Amino acid sequence: MTTPVLEIRNLHARIEEREILKGVNLIIPPGQVHAIMGRNGSGKSTLSYVLAGKEDYEVTEGEILLNGENILEMEPDERAAAGLFLAFQYPIEIPGVATMTFLKAAINAQRKARGEDELKTPDFMRMVKEAGAQLNVDSEMLKRPLNVGFSGGEKKRAEIMQMALLKPSLAVLDETDSGLDIDALQVVSKGVNALRDGQRSMLVITHYQRLLNHIVPDVVHVFSDGRIVESGDKDLALQLEAKGYADFDGQAA
Amino acid sequence: MRANFPVRLGPAEESLIAQLKAAGATQAAERITVAGLPTRRVESYHYTDLKTLLRSIPPLATAANEASAPALRIPGAYTLMIANGVIQNASTAPAGVIVGKADGGVLTTRDDVMVHVNNALANSALTLTLENTVDPVIQVERRVEGEAAHVADALKIFVADNATTTIIETFSGSDAAHVGNHATYLALGKNAVVTHITVDLSARAATHFATNEYHLADGAKLRTLVIHLGAGLSRTNVFPTMGGADAHADITGLNLVSDGQHADITMETHHAVPHTSSQPLFKSISRGRSKAIVQGKLVVARDAQKTDAKFMHQGLMLSDEAEILSKPELEIYADDVVCGHGSTCGKLDEDSLFYLLSRGIPKAEAETMLVRGFIAELLDPVEDSELNEALQGIVDGWLLGGK
Repeated sequence: MTTPVLEIRNLHARIEEREILKGVNLIIPPGQVHAIMGRNGSGKSTLSYVLAGKEDYEVTEGEILLNGENILEMEPDERAAAGLFLAFQYPIEIPGVATMTFLKAAINAQRKARGEDELKTPDFMRMVKEAGAQLNVDSEMLKRPLNVGFSGGEKKRAEIMQMALLKPSLAVLDETDSGLDIDALQVVSKGVNALRDGQRSMLVITHYQRLLNHIVPDVVHVFSDGRIVESGDKDLALQLEAKGYADFDGQAA
Repeated sequence: MRANFPVRLGPAEESLIAQLKAAGATQAAERITVAGLPTRRVESYHYTDLKTLLRSIPPLATAANEASAPALRIPGAYTLMIANGVIQNASTAPAGVIVGKADGGVLTTRDDVMVHVNNALANSALTLTLENTVDPVIQVERRVEGEAAHVADALKIFVADNATTTIIETFSGSDAAHVGNHATYLALGKNAVVTHITVDLSARAATHFATNEYHLADGAKLRTLVIHLGAGLSRTNVFPTMGGADAHADITGLNLVSDGQHADITMETHHAVPHTSSQPLFKSISRGRSKAIVQGKLVVARDAQKTDAKFMHQGLMLSDEAEILSKPELEIYADDVVCGHGSTCGKLDEDSLFYLLSRGIPKAEAETMLVRGFIAELLDPVEDSELNEALQGIVDGWLLGGK
């Protein structure tokens, strides 16, 4: 059997004394797009942060395997170099750090961690220009400090552009649709779909079915009270949209 | 009262008094004999108690026989040097620059020991008169060389109406327990546009004192940047006077302190006439057990209506033992002004750090990026690209070296 890109086994995590993830199990084979839907506060975003390795969360039980390798002991930068990418729900504005400087540092740090040569500046410029063109990220945006003064749509486009440049094996998209109007949603979805290549896997976290019309998932999971309570094909998302989350509450008991 | 309770004088004060007397500065000597060096009870030295911090004063400097390597090379700059108080001027001045010499005592008298001592001990001053816009960056290297020495030197700059220039002063020298006391008086003519940068690159054993006094005529625009990173003890006084309508000053400064260092920028800006503005912006980064101080006072004269001035000091603490002190003061005698002050202090933002890490950037590099970003607001406005790069290099050297 092929090694799944992501395998989560009985994952429990808490922040301070509060347990938020209560036994998550999930397998994403190569090339598949899985969606996680759930209401606010169900722990969806926590799952994305725990995957990326945010310090505030403590994993009390379970395992996360990325391409067969346990990443729980890795620092966030090591996880990124191992192929994990998190598209933030709220990308952070960092004044004083130029977007281009940041992109170059990120790409080269990952290449270095994997034992590859650093990119030459002309090659880097070309890559950024190409990726930017796909996502309507113009040179004016690239000149600004990282995410500073970007509109909600610009921030999300910039996130997807980073993903296109960093070429992760697993992309976690945390509420990428939030704050997007329909035009921006289409641009972002197009960008994401262009990165579906039969190998790269994605975990799309959302609480609206709307996004899944544009990024069509192979599997939909319903998340409630810190775990997956139901899984199905893309029609499950439509059922959820019609009936709400109430039907799924407490199912996993 | 004081006569009944004479202050106990320490060795630093004794040497200073002897030096002042020998120079014939009886008044300055008398002042220190009576009051001693300022302690924390003197408001303007509250965080920089010289009586405690200044243990000794080395002998007055004699002409230097040898010189250390230049502390900072800026390609294309026109460079002058004052070494151990002696003015050295080898290269040909660019068009419009008149280099000269005048008597010392360039600072306006005020109740400040650094000012008194400099005015008393600086025998001569280097003078620069800029008759028109000068394209190359002007660098004045001020050095203290050889055995530990006490140096008082002075620089007086006149920038003509409508002229534009960029001047950087660097302070450096041999690795000894020097006490440097440097004065700069800079007068900006009408509509002159001046960038003036002072960078302390002295050895850690040294003490660096500097006073930068500015006078701005109508419509003049000044950008100043003080960078402290070399000396174990440093204090720069920044004293701008906004003396003409529509004058504007961006008064900025950066304390970079590592374990064992104490750096103090003390600003007092006088808005003397109506319709002037100033934007004082200071940043301090402290690591190890160190102390960074910014005192910022805005004085608005009674007639100086429509003054617009806001003081800001932002501190970044990189260790648990770091100390950053901020003291804003407003003294406003006019009734139609917009004046304010703000101070912030904190560690590196954890969310920003996580964001950079999540993109694969290792922690040390991510932290450096964030600190650079914090400082960018001060360095970015320095337009000359060679100078900007040189300053960035200095800051990077600090970030990557030591703790």
